[in-house]
Amino acid sequence: MTRNTEAMLVLAGATLASLGAAMVGFAEGRWLDATVALTFVSFALAFGSIHVAFRMWAPNANPLLLPIATFLAAIGSTEILRLDPDLAALQRWWLVLAGAAAAGTVWLLRSSGIAVLRRYRYLFLSAATVLLLLPLLPASWPIYGAVVNGSRLWVRIDLPLAGRVLSFQPGEIAKVLLTIFLASYLADRSEAMSTVSRKVGPFQIPEPRHLGPIVVAAGAAFVVLIYQRDLGASLLLFALFVGMLYAATGRGFYLGTGLFLVTIAGGAAYAMFDHVRVRISAWIHPFADYTGAGYQTAQGLFAMGSGSLTGSGVGLGRPDLIPAATTDFIFAAVAEELGLAGSVAIIVAYAFLVTVGFGIALRSRDRFRKYLAAGLTILIGVQSFLIIAGIVRLFPITGITLPFMSYGGSSLLASALIVALLGRISHEEQT
Amino acid sequence: MNAPIRRTAWVILGTFLALILATTWIQAIAGPGYRDDPRNPRLTAWRVGRERGAIITADAVVTARSDPHPTDPQTFTRVYPEQDRYAHTVGFTSVLFGSRGLERTRQNDLVSHRDATISGVLNVILGGDPRPRGLRLTIDDALQQAAIDALAGQRGSIIAVDPATGAVLASVSTPGYDPNTLIGPDAGPVGTELENDPDQPLLHRTINATYPPGSTFKVITAAAALEAGIAGPSTEFPDPVELELPGTTATIHNYDDDVCVDGRAVTLEDAFVRSCNTTLAALGMEIGADALTATAEAFGFNSVIPYELPVVASPMPDAATYADDPAAAAQNALGQRDVRATPMQMALVAAAVANEGNIMIPFVVADVFTHDGRIESSTQPTLWRRAISPASAAVLSDMMEKAVISGTGHNAAVPDLRVAGKTGTAEVTGSAPDVWFIGFAPVDPEPGERRIALAVLLENGGPAGETASGGSVAAPIAAKLFEAYLR
Repeated sequence: MTRNTEAMLVLAGATLASLGAAMVGFAEGRWLDATVALTFVSFALAFGSIHVAFRMWAPNANPLLLPIATFLAAIGSTEILRLDPDLAALQRWWLVLAGAAAAGTVWLLRSSGIAVLRRYRYLFLSAATVLLLLPLLPASWPIYGAVVNGSRLWVRIDLPLAGRVLSFQPGEIAKVLLTIFLASYLADRSEAMSTVSRKVGPFQIPEPRHLGPIVVAAGAAFVVLIYQRDLGASLLLFALFVGMLYAATGRGFYLGTGLFLVTIAGGAAYAMFDHVRVRISAWIHPFADYTGAGYQTAQGLFAMGSGSLTGSGVGLGRPDLIPAATTDFIFAAVAEELGLAGSVAIIVAYAFLVTVGFGIALRSRDRFRKYLAAGLTILIGVQSFLIIAGIVRLFPITGITLPFMSYGGSSLLASALIVALLGRISHEEQT
Repeated sequence: MNAPIRRTAWVILGTFLALILATTWIQAIAGPGYRDDPRNPRLTAWRVGRERGAIITADAVVTARSDPHPTDPQTFTRVYPEQDRYAHTVGFTSVLFGSRGLERTRQNDLVSHRDATISGVLNVILGGDPRPRGLRLTIDDALQQAAIDALAGQRGSIIAVDPATGAVLASVSTPGYDPNTLIGPDAGPVGTELENDPDQPLLHRTINATYPPGSTFKVITAAAALEAGIAGPSTEFPDPVELELPGTTATIHNYDDDVCVDGRAVTLEDAFVRSCNTTLAALGMEIGADALTATAEAFGFNSVIPYELPVVASPMPDAATYADDPAAAAQNALGQRDVRATPMQMALVAAAVANEGNIMIPFVVADVFTHDGRIESSTQPTLWRRAISPASAAVLSDMMEKAVISGTGHNAAVPDLRVAGKTGTAEVTGSAPDVWFIGFAPVDPEPGERRIALAVLLENGGPAGETASGGSVAAPIAAKLFEAYLR
């Protein structure tokens, strides 16, 4: 029953994506073309295969995850098509690959269940560490790191036969693996961490050996910040660690320490790095350095303001004037063309997804599943908050992707994996 | 053990609420500020960078077109290949100065119909063409050039219409400007210079400036007399050297300070042909304020001419303001004192006489054509007002023809063409007179033959200055235009 509802909603999402493609065509004065059909096919393949995987191997999975993801991806793909048809064609392939990977994950976990992941946590930790360090590989190697927009986030592989370069952001996958590790670690230790304490003055603080994870977290985030110059990824990782520690132990101490460390690290970064100072001043006064650091923020504000309540209509605004409109700033592009109506719909969709995710966590009886669901949800929630908050000036620009919507294979793959894992967790709770 | 997870969920959902509030602030409350910020590149992109349709003349001379940007196919550069020749009518669309002329008033045709309105989307779904439309003007490029040549170096205006349809055949206002220099973001100094130029090159004199019509207004005075039955062409009037204005010490003289004919008696026709102020002023007092203002208003004074560009009304004083002031009636009847007219208004007076008393709505856009050159809609000639009866029009036509054959308008004569017209030399306090000619040709068209009615105006005497008269300066220009269009 619920699977049929899910099928209908996913179909509706795929239809929305192809309608979006049709509107982009109309706006450019073309009649329906192959892009409309290709969009429908790629959505049907990507989300349809996850749906079929759920139907066969996780029939009790929450039926809302997939439709929300389809909806967000549909809006994102419309905007990407409108901005850059070539990227949109690539994005269709990424969609299909991400869908296949997610369906494959559901298949892999079909009999062993999600619990199998718990056993291999150190494998995931090592893999995540390697992935995070990959962008530091020297450029002379066949697999090498690359700096894009000042951040060392990318890994490139020269494909000698095809004569092409394959690029990906290993950090996107690493954060999912780290979440699995952390959920597994906390499932074993959280009871001790939340009860055993030592009194220091008026404070109840955990045993020093229980501070290990948070120190590791802060260290990893700071390494990412320094070596990869990536404020967004480092904040995301840190928020994930602190959030999961708190969610698992319920100790305000972790939150307080986390905030304290963030303040220290932030202050240090501000004092040490020019690019951090520039970013902060561009956040507070985007128009003071309009042609320089504040340009992107200002273009986002112009786009959103021009979009007003109902937007310019798909294909009729000028989101192409916003730097990085297909990736980090896709929210501003959608806000321009769909207006406040569209931007609120997107925020509400993320809020809905986060609510569903935490609902899965709350209903889970098993600690590992509970923490994993909470962690993956925090990941989606914090990531979408950070980048949208940067665009609407609640926070400095962090330069991370918007899950499901931004262009990018690594980001889509990570988001699809999160949906697959959350689906599997919710399935196991129902049986 | 769910409580911390629940709290985490609430915190994250709370941050989403903050996102909604911030987005609402930016898009709904601060939105117009960001949208209209001069640094917002959309303003420029929308106004200037969009593709706009071409504007061509009746004989297919391109006056405006959009060239695609060499590297960014989404944006276009507007080009006005004819530079200043069509500047006031076609106008421009500019980053700094907004839009003017047809570029402004026909914007909806000239830009693409790719909008998000339900009708726009339906239009595309139903197979409609969203690409920008082009405009074909009624203006004849050869006649336009003749008018430009005639006004070279002068401040003035020429407007020619087809009296039967209202189609504008030529429209020139000088001095002009090159719209190409006003498009870009660097046009500030050029625009400031044009705005501060004492010769007012940006002013569209044809429709946006009013001048005392002088003796050309005698067409209306004579029409009032004919319509009211006060006088006919052969009605005789006294022929004094000067006419005393009641209640004042002022007198009215003829142009050469002499009698009109022989000092004894003069017919209305002779007085009209020789443009005698004494006779027409006396007639004006006899007609009175009510009939004079009513007739002028019948010709379109005090009304905004429903043209495709914004026109200022030509003011004729309200009858009540001079009903008890015969001196004012006398001076108004000569097209002086409180009467002012745009060149277009006076061209329509001539057109009314040519067209049996009927004034057609003037129009300059003949056709709207699609991107692939198919005519989508054409302007249909429409009657604006019936100024006078066909009988009065016939009498006036006859008198105006005689004014060209043997009167003040003889310089407007063209061999083997029946030309009708009236000169005007309007006194301007403190400077040389504004000189006029209004008229039309041919008087007796064969079926299907071209016809033209026009007004020629030169500010402050044109090249002749103080010694200028409508007959010596404006009438020869009219002759050239008749020849250019009809020969």
